[in-house]
Amino acid sequence: MKFLYLSFSFLTINFLSAQNYYLYVASESDDTVSLLKFDGNSIKEIKRINVGFYPTEVEGPHGITVDPSGDFWYVTLAHGNPFGKLIKYSTKDNTVIGETTLGLFPASMEVSKVTRFIYCVNFNLHGNMKPSSVSVIDAETMTEITKIKTGSMPHGSRISKDGLKQYSVAMMSGELFEIDALSLNVSRILNLEKNSGKNHTKMKMSEKQMNHSVVKPTWVIPHPTKDLAYVAGNGSNEIIEVNLDKWMISKRIKVEKGPYNVEISPNGKYMIATLKGSGETAIWQLEDGLLIKTIKNSTSVPHGVAISNDSRYAFISVEGKGGEPGIVDVIDLKSLKLVDKVEVGKQAGGIAFWKKEI
Amino acid sequence: MNKKISIFLLCINFCFSQDKSIISNLENLTLNIGEVFNPKSQAINSDGSAIQCVKVIYFNKKGVFSTAKSIIFDREKGTLKANDPGTHEVVAVCIDSNGNRLTKTFNVNVNYPKIKNVKLITDQKSIYVGNYVKLTFEVTDEFDNKRIIDYWNYDKAQRYFANVGVNIISSNDKIRIDSSNNILALEEGNTSIKANFDGVTDKIDIYIQKNPISELNLISDNSNVKTGDVVKFGVIALDKKGNKLNDMPVEYSFTGRSFDKSSLASGLILEDGRFVGDIPGKYVVTARVGNITSSNIINVFPRNVKREVIGIGEGLVNDKHTSDFWVFEGVDGGDYAVTGTWGADGKAYFWDVSNPSDLKKIDSVQVDARTVNDVKVSQDGKICVISREGASNRKNGIILIDVTNPRDAKIISEYTKNLTGGVHNVFIDNNHIYALSNGERYYILNIDNPLQPKEVGMFEVGKEGQAIHDVWIENGIAYSSNWRDGVYLVDVGNGIAGGSPSNPVSFGNYSYDSGAHHATFPYKSKSTGKFYTVLGDEIFPKGVNPNGTNETAGFLHFVDFTDSKNPKEVAKYELPTHGSHNFWIQDDILYVAMYTGGLRIVDLSGDLLGDLYKQGREIGYLLTGNPKGYIPNDTMVWGAQLYKGNVFYSDFNSGLGAAKVLDDKPDNSKTNQYVE
Repeated sequence: MKFLYLSFSFLTINFLSAQNYYLYVASESDDTVSLLKFDGNSIKEIKRINVGFYPTEVEGPHGITVDPSGDFWYVTLAHGNPFGKLIKYSTKDNTVIGETTLGLFPASMEVSKVTRFIYCVNFNLHGNMKPSSVSVIDAETMTEITKIKTGSMPHGSRISKDGLKQYSVAMMSGELFEIDALSLNVSRILNLEKNSGKNHTKMKMSEKQMNHSVVKPTWVIPHPTKDLAYVAGNGSNEIIEVNLDKWMISKRIKVEKGPYNVEISPNGKYMIATLKGSGETAIWQLEDGLLIKTIKNSTSVPHGVAISNDSRYAFISVEGKGGEPGIVDVIDLKSLKLVDKVEVGKQAGGIAFWKKEI
Repeated sequence: MNKKISIFLLCINFCFSQDKSIISNLENLTLNIGEVFNPKSQAINSDGSAIQCVKVIYFNKKGVFSTAKSIIFDREKGTLKANDPGTHEVVAVCIDSNGNRLTKTFNVNVNYPKIKNVKLITDQKSIYVGNYVKLTFEVTDEFDNKRIIDYWNYDKAQRYFANVGVNIISSNDKIRIDSSNNILALEEGNTSIKANFDGVTDKIDIYIQKNPISELNLISDNSNVKTGDVVKFGVIALDKKGNKLNDMPVEYSFTGRSFDKSSLASGLILEDGRFVGDIPGKYVVTARVGNITSSNIINVFPRNVKREVIGIGEGLVNDKHTSDFWVFEGVDGGDYAVTGTWGADGKAYFWDVSNPSDLKKIDSVQVDARTVNDVKVSQDGKICVISREGASNRKNGIILIDVTNPRDAKIISEYTKNLTGGVHNVFIDNNHIYALSNGERYYILNIDNPLQPKEVGMFEVGKEGQAIHDVWIENGIAYSSNWRDGVYLVDVGNGIAGGSPSNPVSFGNYSYDSGAHHATFPYKSKSTGKFYTVLGDEIFPKGVNPNGTNETAGFLHFVDFTDSKNPKEVAKYELPTHGSHNFWIQDDILYVAMYTGGLRIVDLSGDLLGDLYKQGREIGYLLTGNPKGYIPNDTMVWGAQLYKGNVFYSDFNSGLGAAKVLDDKPDNSKTNQYVE
C-alpha cells in the first residue's frame, strides 16, 4: 500500500512537473521573434525566427499576439515605406501565412474571439502629434477592413473577455477609447487627465485640442470578469482603474516610476505592471488592491507582460540597452520570485503567451 | 447592449458548418460609379432556414489602403459606394450569436463611366504612303475624366480597350487597320478614320501624300565604334529634282550579327536616330520614310576597358555588421574614415586611412542605439554626424562628434527634436545637417553652433504614404530619394529656384514604375557636359536572411536631367542577379556597391544610352567577402567612395576596405587553360 502511495505521489509530481509553457517574444532591434519554452524550472529559446523583408533595414517587430485558436501568431513590423505591416505566421512551423500593410508604426493588437478580427493600434510614435487610428484586420484573409480614427499615439490594444469591445489609450492626448468590435466605431472616449471635467464621448475629434497628456497612458487591460479596466499612466506614475459600467475613473493607484504595460491574470487575482523607469515589475493582489511584490528585472527597460493561462507564471520582456540582448524574466506568481530568465534578441518588447502543454 | 448580446450568446447555441451559406443583394450586383448601395445579407442553412447574424460586416478585399478605394464603406450608415470601374470583391462576414463566422465573397461589377466625347488627334505634319499613322485617342467620360491613349502607350491602350467596345474603320482602302488598331497608309489620297467608343464617335480626315522622296541617304558621324558608343544617325532626303526635303517622318531600325558566333547582336535605336551597339558585331541600320529606305553598316568593336582591380587594405570589423562610411581629410592633413555599425551596440569607428594598405582603427564612440546607419563628416573635417536607430528611450535622433582629432573623437551634442522616429540617413553641407525623420521627410538643422543644432527647415513630398530613404546635397541642391515618388531636386541654396536651407524649394522630380528608388548621385558628364541624376534601387526579392547570403536585385537608372523640366531616363547599369546599393561617380567612372555582386567599377565616358553592363563598360570588380568576416566569405558591399585615387568601400560583413584600379589589364591567362 505504501509502495502504491509512493508510486502515485511520484507519478503526480512527475505529471505536475511535466507542464510546459510556450510563448513568443518580439525583439524590435533585431527583427526576430523568439519561441520560448518554460518547463516550470527553466526557460529556453527553442527557435529564433527572422521577420521582415529588408536585411539592411531595421523593421522593428513590436506587437505580437496569438490567435484564440492557437494556430497562428501575428506580429507587427513598425517601420516600412513608411507604413508598417502585420504578418501572420503558423504556430505549427512558424512560417508566413499572409501579410497586410497597416498605418504608421503598427504596434500592439489582439484578436476578438467573436469577430476573429485583429484590432491593431497605429502608434505613429514619431510623427506629428495628431490623431492616429486603430486598424481592423480580417485575420482569415489578412485584409485591413477599416481604420478607425482615435487619439494621438494610440497604444495597448486589448479586447474585452466577451470579444465585443476593444480598448486602447492615446498616449499624447491622454484618452481611453472604446471601440465596438461589431459596428467598428468608437463608442466611448474617456479623458484620463486629472482635474478634467470634460467627457470626450460626445466631442468630435476636430473639436478637441491635442493637449499633451500628463498621464501619458501607455496600456489598458480590461478585467476578465468585472466591469473594470486598468490603465498604465506612464507619465503620472499611476495605475488608473476605470469603471466601465459608469465610464468613469474609480481609482488612481500611485506606483513607482513609469508603469508601461499592465496585464491581469486570467483568474482575475493578480495585476502585473512593468515599471520602465525603475526597471522593475510590480504585482498587485486585485481583491484588496494591495501591492504585494516589486521585483527587480534582470536588465533595464522592462516592457511587456504575458501571463500563463493557469495564472501561475508571468513572463516579462526586458529590452536592455544598446548591444545588450533582450531578456525574458519568469516570475512565479505563487512564490512571487523571479525564477528564471533567458536571453533573446535586442530590445525585447511584444510578448504573447501561446499554450500550456501537459 | 453588451449584456444583451452576452445573454443572447448563452441562450442560443448553434454552429456554422460548411453547408451554411450567405445570400445577399450583392449577388450579381452592378453599380455605376458614384452610386451608393445598402447591402443586405442573410445567412441560411442548407434547408433554406434563416440563421440569425448578430452582425454582418462588409469589406473590400483589397483593403482600405489608398490604392484600394474602389469600393468604400460608410460604417455608420451601413452603405457602400462604388468609386472605380471594374469588378471588385466585397466580403460579407456574418457573425452569429456564438461568435462563429460565415464569410462569402461577392463580385461587384462597377460600370465603366459612359464615354461623353472622343477626339482623334495626330501630330504628324505629313503622312506618306508606307508610313504608319500615329493616332492619339483622347477619351472623355461622363465625369470629365480624360484618358489620353497615344501611339506608344499600347499597354495602357490595351487595358482600356479591353473594357470598352472600340471600333476603328476607314472610309476607303487607302489605309489598312490591323487587329491591334495600327493604321498603315497604303495609297495616295484622302481618307477618313472613324473611331467608335461604345457608341460615341469621332472622325479625322487625313491626306496621304505620295512620297516625295526619290533619294534617301542615311548619314552618321562614325561607322566604326566601340560597344556603348552612341552614334547619331540622320537622313538627307532629296526629291526628284535633287531638292532637300526637311522634317520627313523617318522610322529607324537595325539588324545585326555578333562577331562571336556564340553571342547575340544587341543594341538600341531611338526615334531620333541615336544608335548604340551592346555586343561587338556588324549592324545594319536602316532609315525608312514610307516605301523609301536607306541603310548603313556600322562595325561595333569591343570597348576594351577591363582593368585589374585589387584589394589593398582591410579594416576588419567582424563582431558586428558594418553600415555606411565616409573618408575625409582631417584638419592635420591626414586621411581618416568613420564607419557605422548595424543591429549592434551603437558604435561608430574612426580609422586612420593615410596608408590605404594599413587601415588602422584609432578610436570609437558608443551611443544609445542599435544601428548607426549613416555617418558623414563636414567639408572642413571638424564635425562628424551619425544617425541613431533603436535607441532604448526611442528618441533616436543624431549625434554630433568633434573629429578635429580623430584619435580622440568627442561627442559634443545630441539632437532628437522631430527625429525620434529614427534617422536612417544624414548629410552635412555648409554648416547644415539634413536628417531624415521616420522615413517620411527630412529636417534641415543649422550647426553654426554645433553644441546646439537649430532646426531651420523641412522638406517633404506631401503625399499620403510619403516615404524617403536618403538625401544628398551638392552645389546647394538636395537630391532626396523617395522610393515610389522618385527623386526630388530641391534648391537649398543653389539659387536655381530661390531656395535656401530655411526655405527649401522643389524644382524637379522623376519617378519610375518599380518604386524602389533608394539612393541618388548627381553627375555631370565630363565628356559630354550632360547632367544626370543616377537613381539606385534597393530590392530584396526574397526578404531577410541576416545570417546568410541574401538575394538582391535592382539597378541604377540614369536620368538625363540636363533640362530639369523634362527629365528622360536614358540608360541603366544592371548587374545580372545582383542588386544595387550606394555609389560614387567621379571623372566619368562609376564606383558602385552591388551588395552581393561586390564592388563594381564602370566606365561612363561619352553619351549614355541603353544597357551599360551589356555594353562591356565594366572596368573591373572586387568581391569583398572575407574568411574572417561576420558572415565568413559573404560579400555584401554597402557603399563606395573614391578618395585620393583609392576606392574605399564598406562591407556589411567585413568592415572597411580599400581597393585600387590598376593600369594593367586583368590576367586572364588561366581562363580556359585546357581549351586549345
